[in-house]
Amino acid sequence: MWNQLEIRQRYNQRIYIFLAAVVCMVVILFGRMVQLQWIQYTEHFTQAEDNRIHVSPILPTRGMMTDRYGLGLAVNEISYKVTIIPERVEDMDASLAKVQVLMGWTDKQVDKMKKQVKQSRSDRAVMLMDQLPWQAVAPLAARLHHFSGVDVVAGTHRYYPHAIETSHMVGYLSLVRDVDIKKGYLSMEYVGRSGLERILESRLHGELGYKHEEVDAKGRRVSLLKTVSPKIGENIQLSLDVTLQHVAAKALKGRTGAVVVLDVNTGEVLTLLSQPGYDSNKFITGLETKQWKAWLEDKQRPLLNRTTQAAYPPGSTIKMVTSFAGLRNDIRLARGSTYCKGYVELADRQIRCWKKEGHGKVDLHAALVHSCDVYFYELGDELGMSRLTAEASLWGFGERTGINLPPESRGNLPEEEPDGRRKNWYRGETMITAIGQGEVTVTPLQMARFAAAIANGGKILTPLLEKGQPIEIVREVDVSDEDLKEVRQGMRDVVAQPTGTAHAALGRAHWPVAGKTGTAQVVMMADDEERSFSDAKKHQDHAWFMGYAPFENPQIAIAVFVEHGGHGGSSAAPVARAVFDAWADKVDTTLEKH
Amino acid sequence: MNTLRRMDQILLLCLVLLAIFGMATLYAAVHAGDLTVWYKQGVYWLIGSVAFLVMCFVPLRLIGLLVWPVYLLALLALVLVPFIGDVHMGARRWLDLGIVNLQSSELMKWALILLLASWFSMREASSFRDLSVALVCVLLPAALIVIQPDLGTALVLMLAAMAIIMVAGFPWKWFVGLLAASPFAGYILWQKMHDYQRGRVLSFLNPESDPLGRGYHVIQSAIAIGSGGIFGKGYLEGSQSRLHFLPEQHTDFIFAVLAEEGGLIATAVLFLLYGVLISRILMIALRAHTRFAGLICVGMASIFFLYVFVNIGMVSGMLPVVGVPLPFISYGGSALLSMLVAMGLIMRVAIESEGKVSWQRPTSPLG
Repeated sequence: MWNQLEIRQRYNQRIYIFLAAVVCMVVILFGRMVQLQWIQYTEHFTQAEDNRIHVSPILPTRGMMTDRYGLGLAVNEISYKVTIIPERVEDMDASLAKVQVLMGWTDKQVDKMKKQVKQSRSDRAVMLMDQLPWQAVAPLAARLHHFSGVDVVAGTHRYYPHAIETSHMVGYLSLVRDVDIKKGYLSMEYVGRSGLERILESRLHGELGYKHEEVDAKGRRVSLLKTVSPKIGENIQLSLDVTLQHVAAKALKGRTGAVVVLDVNTGEVLTLLSQPGYDSNKFITGLETKQWKAWLEDKQRPLLNRTTQAAYPPGSTIKMVTSFAGLRNDIRLARGSTYCKGYVELADRQIRCWKKEGHGKVDLHAALVHSCDVYFYELGDELGMSRLTAEASLWGFGERTGINLPPESRGNLPEEEPDGRRKNWYRGETMITAIGQGEVTVTPLQMARFAAAIANGGKILTPLLEKGQPIEIVREVDVSDEDLKEVRQGMRDVVAQPTGTAHAALGRAHWPVAGKTGTAQVVMMADDEERSFSDAKKHQDHAWFMGYAPFENPQIAIAVFVEHGGHGGSSAAPVARAVFDAWADKVDTTLEKH
Repeated sequence: MNTLRRMDQILLLCLVLLAIFGMATLYAAVHAGDLTVWYKQGVYWLIGSVAFLVMCFVPLRLIGLLVWPVYLLALLALVLVPFIGDVHMGARRWLDLGIVNLQSSELMKWALILLLASWFSMREASSFRDLSVALVCVLLPAALIVIQPDLGTALVLMLAAMAIIMVAGFPWKWFVGLLAASPFAGYILWQKMHDYQRGRVLSFLNPESDPLGRGYHVIQSAIAIGSGGIFGKGYLEGSQSRLHFLPEQHTDFIFAVLAEEGGLIATAVLFLLYGVLISRILMIALRAHTRFAGLICVGMASIFFLYVFVNIGMVSGMLPVVGVPLPFISYGGSALLSMLVAMGLIMRVAIESEGKVSWQRPTSPLG
């Protein structure tokens, strides 16, 4: 019936084919293994390591900022946070309710926490409350064994002990935003937002450390593999003398203004006060929008740093510039005298001296001592605008001082435009510029630097914020010893002569002071109006004082600016007195000790 | 004793080595947690060995007598499953027989192979009438298994049947025709599939599309295998398995544990063992004293090989995830037991054929 041989042959043949098919498929499988385990080995090994190893960052401790004597300006305070690991809590609502009673939290806060817990991983600690003092967490900490999954963890937060006085300079931190995270910051980090906290961010921040942990598929920690310690941020000692800053703040109390004190030889900033200040600690605890808005809308503008970011008409404090310009350009009047009858006539107008009845015969020295406007009107008139502004530029006006605290205003000099549009000034404009009115504006820091330059013989220094930084001389003004002596003596007698404008405030200062008062008009008045025409605060004059001490061998220079403060001699000079005396007492006691 | 001395020693050696290999790998898969599974598998090996030895003494003629009753019993069990079966992992596959949970499709595999071997022991697979009877015998249980639903086993069943039919002389022309028709069959199958099965197929086609869902298993097992490299991470050192990144690492995905810890060398050794075992079974098929005995070996070899191929293909990301164990390595009592019974049957073929002339003309399984 069948061809037996054929059947047997076919059977054998088919088994061999079957065997060949099996071998082929095993080769395919083995090829797949070679691909996975040999060719793609590195890739898969990396993926397995990524699975296995969870790298979590350890935040570095932020560097502190201290004043020149080591007093803390931006420090790290120990604080406590309450955390919860959801998967270790049996009844979340009941546990939170008990914790709430101990901590005294509001229902609203607890509702927010519950929401946060729901959104978080159940095996990782969720932060319920941050920046708590020990007193606040102590009741909970003592009963922790009753609360499974709840923990009290110690950490640090930024604290500014002298926030109100130093906030403009030191600045503040706030919690990261999405933009920062893109730059590589981690969530829960704080970033410098303003002042030196922002500018010195890279040095203060330090470097992240890392914790390599082995985790299982559910992300639970199995073991700690290795730890890379974080690098603590740099501690930075500033040149500031916070005690002196407090003296200045106290002297300026209640008024709006600025005080800058510089070391005349190094340019180190000893005081950089802008008032009113604000409490920068509020940024750390989480600033409420209401507070932020209030600060922004406050007419006194507490967030503005008046020492560097705002420029004001300098008034009579600019008269030294006019003096130097006159002497440099050998204007006859600078070495001669004129007669002040209380005003000068220009066309059909009268431009008045502040002293209605006039100063009589005045030379440069007398004009500085009594701050005679007429003398400087005439001197300015002879100089012309370009020589006046050129001199002001030499002494550092109209340019940024280069202090490492941007943004900084450069002030304004009525300079010639490149297209020559304003080349021809009216004589009246030049004359009022010579007494620090009109278009000229300066920052208090520029003014302090000017005082320092007169004191140190013409060296324009970059104001330095850190102690022991190398001195930076922007330029040395070429000024002859006789001219310098002339102006200095004028400034000295502003204080020393009983009729000098600052004698009342500074005549009895502990050190001999040289300086100049300034009263800058805010509103130009018509000829027939009285100076004291208005009680309105915003129409009151700005008060200035600039100067240095001691007269021989000067050490510190100051600029005091009081916004709408009235007269320089009575409003600004007393602030300088307080600062000079405080500094003198400190230096003298130190000298006595040695 | 004479019977035992006539056992095929290479086959026996392969089985012993696989037992050692399997127990060692299973230990690696479970050592981090509960060892109960490992001890239980040891007991299954002991029971299985006894069953293996018993099978060595069962004459093939007796088995030839039992072919139809066993098949009908298995069919009955399959029919009963939908009514009294135990829902296990979303699929009704288990029949609770009091002492043992019997997987009814497991029984059907062997019953069907015996039936086909017996049917074609005297018939060539070129007669249309004879083929249709066989086809009904195959498709009926296959359909029942598909609706359980257990697509993997159904496919294995049909492919094993195909292997027997091919060796029994199925004409090539028809085979080519069948191949051409398979896309349509595939389409109909897709329509009949359950959502979870379609999901598995889809996630196999593009595992990265759903890395934490269905694709997660395949990605993690591919990572585990690949990260083993050539020499492996060392015994009990596999991080993917130790830290539970592998799914079902003691059952279906146990191959990944072996590959991660033993590397390409261990996988090569395992492939060698499987390869030798399968070729040995086919050698026995070649020198079998009856056609019935030979066809039994072919069927067993094909089922065994399909399990190996589908499992490793799935774990290494070449095939969709279907729940098929890796023979002798995966944890699981009934799979191991039935596999050892099958090996015992093959050993019986080797024993009976020893010293006899191979068949020259097809005869009834009853001799």
